[in-house]
Amino acid sequence: MDHVDNILVVDDDREIRTGVMEYLRKNGLRASAAVDGRDMFAQLDTSAFDLVVLDIMMPGDDGLVLCRTLRSGKHRALPVLLLTARDDETDRIIGLEMGADDYVVKPFSPRELLARIKAVIRRTRMLPPNLRITETTDVLSFGRWRLDTTARHLLDEEGTIVPLSGAEFRLLRVFLDHPQRVLSRDQLLNLTQGRDAELFDRSIDLLVSRLRTRLEDNAKEQSYIKTVRSEGYVFSMPITLPGDGA
Amino acid sequence: MNHVSSIAPKRWLPRSMATRIYLIIFIGLMLAQGLSFAVMLHERYQSATATMFDTVEHEVATSVAMLDRLPVSERAGALSLLERDNYRFVLGHGQPGALLTSKRSWGLVHRIEKEVGPGYRVKADSISTQPERYQVHFTLRDGSPLTLVVMPHGVPPVAQWLPMVLVLQLILLLVCTWLAVRLATRPLAQLAHAAETMAPTADGPRMSEEGPAEVAQAAVAFNTMQERIARHLKERLHILASISHDLQTPITRMRLRAESLDDGEERQKILRDLHEMEHLVREGVAYARSAHGGAEVPVRMDVKAFLESLVFDYQDIGKPVTLAESIGGAAMVRRQALRRVLGNLIDNALKYGGTAEVSAWRSKDGGMCMAVCDRGPGIPEDQLEQVLQPFYRLEGSRSRDTGGTGLGLAIAAQLTRAIGGNLQLSNREGGGLAVMVTLSE
Repeated sequence: MDHVDNILVVDDDREIRTGVMEYLRKNGLRASAAVDGRDMFAQLDTSAFDLVVLDIMMPGDDGLVLCRTLRSGKHRALPVLLLTARDDETDRIIGLEMGADDYVVKPFSPRELLARIKAVIRRTRMLPPNLRITETTDVLSFGRWRLDTTARHLLDEEGTIVPLSGAEFRLLRVFLDHPQRVLSRDQLLNLTQGRDAELFDRSIDLLVSRLRTRLEDNAKEQSYIKTVRSEGYVFSMPITLPGDGA
Repeated sequence: MNHVSSIAPKRWLPRSMATRIYLIIFIGLMLAQGLSFAVMLHERYQSATATMFDTVEHEVATSVAMLDRLPVSERAGALSLLERDNYRFVLGHGQPGALLTSKRSWGLVHRIEKEVGPGYRVKADSISTQPERYQVHFTLRDGSPLTLVVMPHGVPPVAQWLPMVLVLQLILLLVCTWLAVRLATRPLAQLAHAAETMAPTADGPRMSEEGPAEVAQAAVAFNTMQERIARHLKERLHILASISHDLQTPITRMRLRAESLDDGEERQKILRDLHEMEHLVREGVAYARSAHGGAEVPVRMDVKAFLESLVFDYQDIGKPVTLAESIGGAAMVRRQALRRVLGNLIDNALKYGGTAEVSAWRSKDGGMCMAVCDRGPGIPEDQLEQVLQPFYRLEGSRSRDTGGTGLGLAIAAQLTRAIGGNLQLSNREGGGLAVMVTLSE
């Protein structure tokens, strides 16, 4: 029998907790609920989960603290989706810095939450285990650029911020997660689909060309993204992870 | 009419209070100085006259009596002995003269007349005024005429260094007056500046509470007022934020409940209403927060990449947003605030105009200008300011149907102000609205 994803919902509000749980079950997933951090760790110890939905605003240890605790313990590979009350970049950045994989802003629609849960699980599965480390690293260096993966922008040598559009960031992220590997347009399209997946219809070629402009990647030399005729694209610049030494 | 003219400032008065006080004090001091100088000169003149003529009538009387008694042949020889530096005697009628004019000469003539006694038929006339020369005529007892020519000294000339001292005094006066006026009016200017730059939401710069007692008192009062306004506004924004924030949980619950309903028209309606409430709550929180946009730390950012990323995000979900014109290079900006401002303006343009056109350029003074334009119906000229107020709706606006909260432009305007910029609406030639955001470098 196929694996059915098991989700743990952690929220202090009883109705939201049970509501989300029921909605997920109705949509073919398995789901349990926890009232607070202690409850959450107790459940994680007794059964296997594929993802934790974690509310930030909780009495006692809040979601951010719990997220950090999760990341530093034996459950570090478990995907975490944060429920935040504020649509604010600072909160999102803090959440992502604490090691969350994604976030949903309250009030959210259950559909949106479900779509995000599925996207996070899919993304985590697609990554080879040895590369999952990049999920939680802040800054990746390559060539003359650095990519801040939480704030989602590029930094040049002088530290000037070069913003990226959502699609540009996702595409670059896919390339950085799969360096030196030829990716077909279909693969790229599949991996690049984000939260607006159903609306996203830009062709990969256009996106790659935009990204090259952003990286100031000369079309003839192609030192960052190389075109592989009739196959797709490959990211050819070596990547330095923080801690690899200067 | 009269009322108006009585209030209007007098045209000849200088505009600034500093100049007025300066003029008043300076003119007053100059007059006082001039007066004391005049009094001093007068006193000098008086004392000079007194020392010169106090005793002259006695000498003259003695001389006249002596000449009278001398034989005619010896008189001429005696004249030189009787001569003084301010008068001399001449035998005969002297020169023809005019009427005596100076009061001083009359006084002297009277005193001489009195002193020589009757019988000499004293007469006097003037022969010159510059320098003053006059004659006193006597008729001696033998009938021969005798003339006294008086040559009074002028007032002794003022010392050479006196004008220098006067100029020095004048300079001293100028400097002291300027210092005094500055001391009095500078705190006022500072107060005006503080009031002008007061940002009621941010904890603006406090006025220095140093200085003279009156100034310190005004500064303390101003600071207290600023604190009170800030506290009041903070409280109001806090209430708005709290209400909006606390609504998020019940709305989430209701959404979950609605999902468990049977799929029907009723459920669709509830979901639509919830969506509207949700939007309002988010905008409410955003509005409450926008007043504190200045707290964000500015970062160095590539302007063109920023605008393109914004526009591409819209294009990628199929919205007709274009970047018409951009500037290269980097700028120090509060990125999140600017992104929100431009996002709101683009949303607004899309809602009413269907399309949005973004452009950016450098102003003459090096600042950054950005504009979001549409080809929608625009806004009547007399309401261009009002639409920036929260929840303001245009007459006949269909914004409720289009999902507007009435907060989008208000957030953009407040946030722009919070980051030290300026937001301006105008109707475009050929129809449509243009919103310009100006940021000083």
